[in-house]
Amino acid sequence: MSDNINRRDFLKGAATGVGVGLLGAMGLYSYSPMRKSHFTQAERKMTDIGVCKSVKVTNISETSWFENGVLMGDIKGAGGLLVNQYDYNWPPFGNGKGLGKGSYEEGIAQIKHLLPNRLEEAWKIIEGNSVHPENAGGYAALVEVEQMDGKKTKYLLDVGWSYKWCDEAFKREGIDKMLENKEIEALFFSHEHFDHFWGLPVALKYDPEITIYIPEGFYPEGLQYIKDCGHKGKLITVKNGLNKVIPGMASYVFAIPIICRVYGEQSLYFNVADKGLVSVTGCCHQGIIRFAETAYNEIKYENDKCYGIYGGLHISPFDDWDPKYDDLVISLGDYGFERIGCNHCTGVLCAKKFIAAGYPVVEGTAKNRSKDKAYLGNGDTITFG
Amino acid sequence: MERFGEGYLEERKLVKRWSGPIPALVSLVITLAVFYLSWWIFQDPRGVMRMYTPYVGYMYCRWWLIMMIWMVYIFNFWPFKRKWLETAHPLLKGAVLTTISAVILVALIKGFFEGLMGNYGLAYFNPDQLEKLPGVTSFFAIEYSALAILMFAAIASWLSPAWVVAFEEAPWQKLSQPAKGFSILIMTFFLSLVVYFVTMHPHMGILYHPWQYFTSIAPPYWEQFADTVSGNFHISWIMCCTVVVWLVETIWERYPFNLIKNDWARRFACFFGIIGIALAMHFFLYFAQELTWGEAIRGTRRAFAPDWRWLHVGEMAIFFLVPALFVTFYCDNWPKKYSMPVNVLLRTVVTLIGAIALYIVYYKTSHMFLGTQKGFSHPQQFPMIPMIWLVNIWLVHHWFMDNWPAWKMVPKTAEEIEADHAAKKAAIEDVRWSPKFGVGLTAGVAMGVVFYFITVWALPAVYAAVNIIPGN
Repeated sequence: MSDNINRRDFLKGAATGVGVGLLGAMGLYSYSPMRKSHFTQAERKMTDIGVCKSVKVTNISETSWFENGVLMGDIKGAGGLLVNQYDYNWPPFGNGKGLGKGSYEEGIAQIKHLLPNRLEEAWKIIEGNSVHPENAGGYAALVEVEQMDGKKTKYLLDVGWSYKWCDEAFKREGIDKMLENKEIEALFFSHEHFDHFWGLPVALKYDPEITIYIPEGFYPEGLQYIKDCGHKGKLITVKNGLNKVIPGMASYVFAIPIICRVYGEQSLYFNVADKGLVSVTGCCHQGIIRFAETAYNEIKYENDKCYGIYGGLHISPFDDWDPKYDDLVISLGDYGFERIGCNHCTGVLCAKKFIAAGYPVVEGTAKNRSKDKAYLGNGDTITFG
Repeated sequence: MERFGEGYLEERKLVKRWSGPIPALVSLVITLAVFYLSWWIFQDPRGVMRMYTPYVGYMYCRWWLIMMIWMVYIFNFWPFKRKWLETAHPLLKGAVLTTISAVILVALIKGFFEGLMGNYGLAYFNPDQLEKLPGVTSFFAIEYSALAILMFAAIASWLSPAWVVAFEEAPWQKLSQPAKGFSILIMTFFLSLVVYFVTMHPHMGILYHPWQYFTSIAPPYWEQFADTVSGNFHISWIMCCTVVVWLVETIWERYPFNLIKNDWARRFACFFGIIGIALAMHFFLYFAQELTWGEAIRGTRRAFAPDWRWLHVGEMAIFFLVPALFVTFYCDNWPKKYSMPVNVLLRTVVTLIGAIALYIVYYKTSHMFLGTQKGFSHPQQFPMIPMIWLVNIWLVHHWFMDNWPAWKMVPKTAEEIEADHAAKKAAIEDVRWSPKFGVGLTAGVAMGVVFYFITVWALPAVYAAVNIIPGN
């Protein structure tokens, strides 16, 4: 047998063997318990963010929209969940051209001269040009942090969507006066979504100089809108990751894609004395368990315990369901939260499943157009600590 | 005797109009242009019909793939006559056959799934039935229904070609069309139904509140070993099966299963071999995500959720299919000059490199030109849709249009067909057991295992060095 034939046979065998060996190892090893030896156990960073005495959250509005069917009809009609939010022709960026044919530039041109003070006039124009202005509501919350020395600091988390609805909600909860009196330290935006961000002129009408914190990832339209609304204060773009604010309070920016072409979400952590970690979110697109796991890896908190949650937990915001949501309902109990205040994009069905699972959900009053007592509604409050 | 399209693909000779890589590059440019135009018209969220909602567009995309597999692989172009296939202009053939595939597609979805199954069997196949439930919006009724129908397609797009590739159309291979086509169609459709019921029906059953304990297994039986109640665990291995079928058929030339001389042993080995290879991919690609992103955490969302990780396995698998088909359709299955095992290995390496490059380019850029969302793990980010859409365009171009205009179709002579068969037989017989083959095989197995562990060891650092999504 010649060397050439020998070499050819060897190569044929070797080429076949590489495939067999590779696929065999892939199949037998990859999902075996042995694979876990390859995972490095990340050392907990235990960053000290300080400690606070208590956190109180007032739900200014959790009704981001009033009818799921109307909102989803718009989304469906405009081309689905990935259409740019500035193109829907929703208020306040109506250009009169109909669903899915909007643009930031054309919309803002109609009302820019009226912002932030002449909002009633602006809203009349918006109503004439936009798709379903009556369905716009908004998400906004007042967060009051009591520090260990008794000093109280107030923050706004988001400002809602509809100028009309938000102004009513701000007045109902006395936010207008707090802003006028400069009692509110800063405004945190959780993310760029319409229902959390587009009501900005309402806050600026009362305090145009308020400091604004936005998560990294805002699009040029969003940055321009902050200017066009008449903001005169500091604008701070928060980088991805952990950012300390005051003792016992930090924000965390998650670099995540969200529907309607939005990117990045900022949520808040509080370390409450003798209790544990409290997480406050706008929509929590990163997932509440990811939020809790991130805290576990990044920061030091009292009793090493996840104590409470407040906010939209982004599970079934449109009355939709998916088995992966059941994964959350099943798993949340492992984290030992003692007070769960949820609403908005958590979804009523999910809140009911939490209650059925025996989780400590703080129920609400279903007033001011909130729909169900299964969660904290407009005007309800919750205190941690 | 009337001759329909049986054997057409095998008996056509595609002759390059220009030398070198020019035909492949021209075809790539043309098909990408058609892809982008048709994506804009049908799928793009900023375009005309905006079917990428995403499931509606996905459903049509997936079933269109099967329509072409049925027409070409199962029915061998029946009822079109061979003469017409050989003489009609590729543009005319492309237009006629594509139109027919689209008509059958719409009839199947609207008539069979939504109309028959949805109204008289399983409510979730019909959005109108779902909308009757309290709280279910029109949007999600349509999406749920599209998901169910497209999952059926995912299973069928594995089993339909598998019956031809692995079972070699047996036991009906000697029947004439359309008897053969209908036999295989009914068999694979039946099998798809069985697989659907044990993989996806329990997923759909727990979409309802309360869970449908009476009609489906709830929580699904895979909860513990899949670390999720989501049917995405099954989407993962089924997608891998779909991809492996085509790897076996194209760049692997059915090697090594074609070495088995006993017909039924070869067929069963190939069918279950495809599943075995798919399971190896399924587990490895999940492990690869654990190595790069960390362990999954049940109950969370996006990149850390087990359900999304399983789905992403299927998405990663589809990136292998695209370069494999390109090598076969437009590069004449290059290289061919070595022995079959070496050729197969080299093509696999080329495909692997192509798949990794495509994955990186896709995630870096697709959100800028496809209207999809930036990032890996958005709930509406399904790279499978544009990848399969591109594959569909290539199938139209290769199967229906003979790679026109960069290639010209010439029917092979009887001698050429005979020579092809002889060459194929010789290539198979060239791979024989010998002591050196045994030594090579043993050394190869060891190299494969070593390569696996090197990959596992290097993957976290390699992934960290490539910033696929800026700002992530």
